[in-house]
Amino acid sequence: MTVTEDRPAYKWVGTRPIRHDGYDKVVGKARFAADLNLPGQLHGVFLRSPHGHARIVSIDTSAAEAMPGVKAVVTGDDFPELAAGDPERDTAINLMARGVVLYVGHALAAVAASTRAEALAAAAAIEVEYDLLPVILSLDESIADGAPLVNEDNRTAFSGSDEPSNLASVTPLERGDVDAAFEAADLVIEREFETSWVHQGYIEPHACVVDVGADGKADIWASSQGHFRVRSQTAAVLGWDTARIKVTPAEIGGGFGGKTTIYLEPVAARLSEKSGRPVKIVMTRDEVLRATGPAPGSKARIRIGATSDGELTAIEGWIGYVVGCVNNMAGFIGAMSVASYKFPNLKLEAVGVLTNTPASAAYRAPSAPQAAFAIESVIDEIAQTLGLDPIDVRLKNAVVEGDPTAMGMPHPRIGFVECLEAIRDSDHYGSPVPEGAARGIGTGFWFNIGEQSSATVNLNEDGTATVITGSPDIGGSRASMALMAAEELGIDVHRITPVVADTESVGFTDVTEGSRATFATGMAVVNACRELVDELKARAATIMGVDSEAVDWIDGAAVAEEHDPLPLDAITAKAKGTGGPLTVTASLNAGGAGPSFAVHCCDVAVDEETGQVTVLRYTTAQDAGTAIHPSYVEGQMQGGTVQGIGWALNEEYVYGEDGTMLNASFLDYRVPVASDLPMIETIIVEVPNPAHPYGVRGVGETGIVPPMSTIANAVNRATGLRISALPMSPPAILAALNER
Amino acid sequence: MPRAHLMSDHRRFTDGEAVIEVEGLTVGAVIAELERRYPGLGEILTNGSSAGVDGVIHAEPEYLVIGPDTDVYFVAPLAGG
Repeated sequence: MTVTEDRPAYKWVGTRPIRHDGYDKVVGKARFAADLNLPGQLHGVFLRSPHGHARIVSIDTSAAEAMPGVKAVVTGDDFPELAAGDPERDTAINLMARGVVLYVGHALAAVAASTRAEALAAAAAIEVEYDLLPVILSLDESIADGAPLVNEDNRTAFSGSDEPSNLASVTPLERGDVDAAFEAADLVIEREFETSWVHQGYIEPHACVVDVGADGKADIWASSQGHFRVRSQTAAVLGWDTARIKVTPAEIGGGFGGKTTIYLEPVAARLSEKSGRPVKIVMTRDEVLRATGPAPGSKARIRIGATSDGELTAIEGWIGYVVGCVNNMAGFIGAMSVASYKFPNLKLEAVGVLTNTPASAAYRAPSAPQAAFAIESVIDEIAQTLGLDPIDVRLKNAVVEGDPTAMGMPHPRIGFVECLEAIRDSDHYGSPVPEGAARGIGTGFWFNIGEQSSATVNLNEDGTATVITGSPDIGGSRASMALMAAEELGIDVHRITPVVADTESVGFTDVTEGSRATFATGMAVVNACRELVDELKARAATIMGVDSEAVDWIDGAAVAEEHDPLPLDAITAKAKGTGGPLTVTASLNAGGAGPSFAVHCCDVAVDEETGQVTVLRYTTAQDAGTAIHPSYVEGQMQGGTVQGIGWALNEEYVYGEDGTMLNASFLDYRVPVASDLPMIETIIVEVPNPAHPYGVRGVGETGIVPPMSTIANAVNRATGLRISALPMSPPAILAALNER
Repeated sequence: MPRAHLMSDHRRFTDGEAVIEVEGLTVGAVIAELERRYPGLGEILTNGSSAGVDGVIHAEPEYLVIGPDTDVYFVAPLAGG
């Protein structure tokens, strides 16, 4: 179902053609990074720390180097020390320890050998002497007075202090007078919340093949969300010129933010350089869970004041994000994600806190789900306490164009109200709650971002086209690029081949993150196509013998008075005689990314004997701006929702006292599977983004923000329990029921 | 005159002032003037902030041309997943 504002009638945009990448994936022809094998290839493996925090006294690799099949061994000493303040210093430290290991699983050496078994045996023969240091695993331990340092290298960002600290960042936001507002409020509710670390759970582990030639140049094939970033980060970590590295993007088996940084490529490159052979590294699932970035865990205290008729007058809160062993931006972003309600009085502080755990990474709308879980839970309790409908309360306070975001800047045109209305008017919300079940509502916001993109569009001699971009396709962007090109050029979408090219074959393009590919790279494609159409009109004018101003472009053909329409393929056939190849490249730094809102509704049943929460029905409404390929939009909405359901009900990192993750497999780290869930019903809301030629907002991230509060609010109505800690797993529900 | 809107964290440099009128034809010029008046603030605005202008957040706004009545909102840098 789609709810659409008035917009132009499109021929291709908004249709659902068979996806261009579908055939290869269905028949197994698509090549992922681990599928590539080169002649003479070696296999690389890591030696990882068994300790949560320790000084490396010595590493002896001599025995390993003498073992059968071993061609190269590297340690931190094989990489340059990046200066304090270098933007990739933490990347380098995280992928190969220097002097100190910061978490269980931290890599401190790597081996390349003829077989994986030989490499594993050699890695096990490396002798390391450690001097153990205190291990900090929780937010409370980390911020306690006198707490040992998690990472002596860390400084609190932009604090002006050069003292080592366990704080990554401190971000206060304030407007109005919260004290006076709470004094005047009819109802004030304050609650505390906690969420666990959760992993993105992409099915394809990190993998790469790197071949460094005798000329010192490296070919890298890698699974990533941004091969230009793979290139720049690898160059920085190795101290190389960027021009020495070519990165070819492999097909990607999921990323969700977790593949926006690197873990393997510089190590494989150094092993290849030392051995003179290509080196392949493929992580195991165990390594993915122990040593790549989960989303931060969190703790929050949220206090909200309201009038008796449901106007939200003030919010005060503290949100701590547990960012892992090195600094990152989670706290900054978390503070700014509080943007859905007018709140005339606001006082928030978001803090990033270090622990001896893997460096956290983005996970769809990074940092927003943790904040939304807390705030949407309190708003729901306010609605309940006041006897008001949960959607009515949100409609009364929802931001619209011109209302301030948490950082003060006014919202542009947004569709939050439209999403709330879509759920209110949905079949789901209008249906009776099933007997024995209960219903919950939750909402979410995400900024979306623009950034740099490039696109080249080549018209072939038979009138077909190739659209070349640098955005790895993690959610349907190839089909979206082809659809926008088809709309602009006026040719069938299946006469267009969308390609994601290597770093030497297309202009610089930022990472596929922030729901930006269809928005920003799509704008580059549209711009290139529009320039091509101008050129096509000029060529047609030459063929027709008229002024180019007399030519229009209508439905894939040049049209001029007193001439038959000249279709695109008739013009491309004469390209050689009218000026040469028809090809245009466009690049931009896209501004105007449109914020996206989502509203979710779910029905759950709680088994009070086992604590099991069963999701019976789930509906999501989200503002896509304009859905270029609605099936892909629905897929993003459903995928984000399902990952959020996992975050709500099952997923968590379980650590032993020494910092060892105890559930590092998909058997014990329980993500939802199809049999756990009903079909996720979708309502695409289309409030076009005025800054994009087709109104695109980007849809990849917002869907993961509302599920935790939506389900918690439903569980509350089912049981009377206000669950404040995630996951709401059966043992947690049972424990809460027993205390009720 | 353009108005610079500062996040709470920035206001420790400005004695609590949240909105400051600053001459400048670009965001970079505004930052330079703020640095002149409030030493230390410019470094944070240059390396630790994005700028929201006319409803659009710019990650590297130094050379962005602004008008005489523009509101420049300095906000924390953004990333995505």
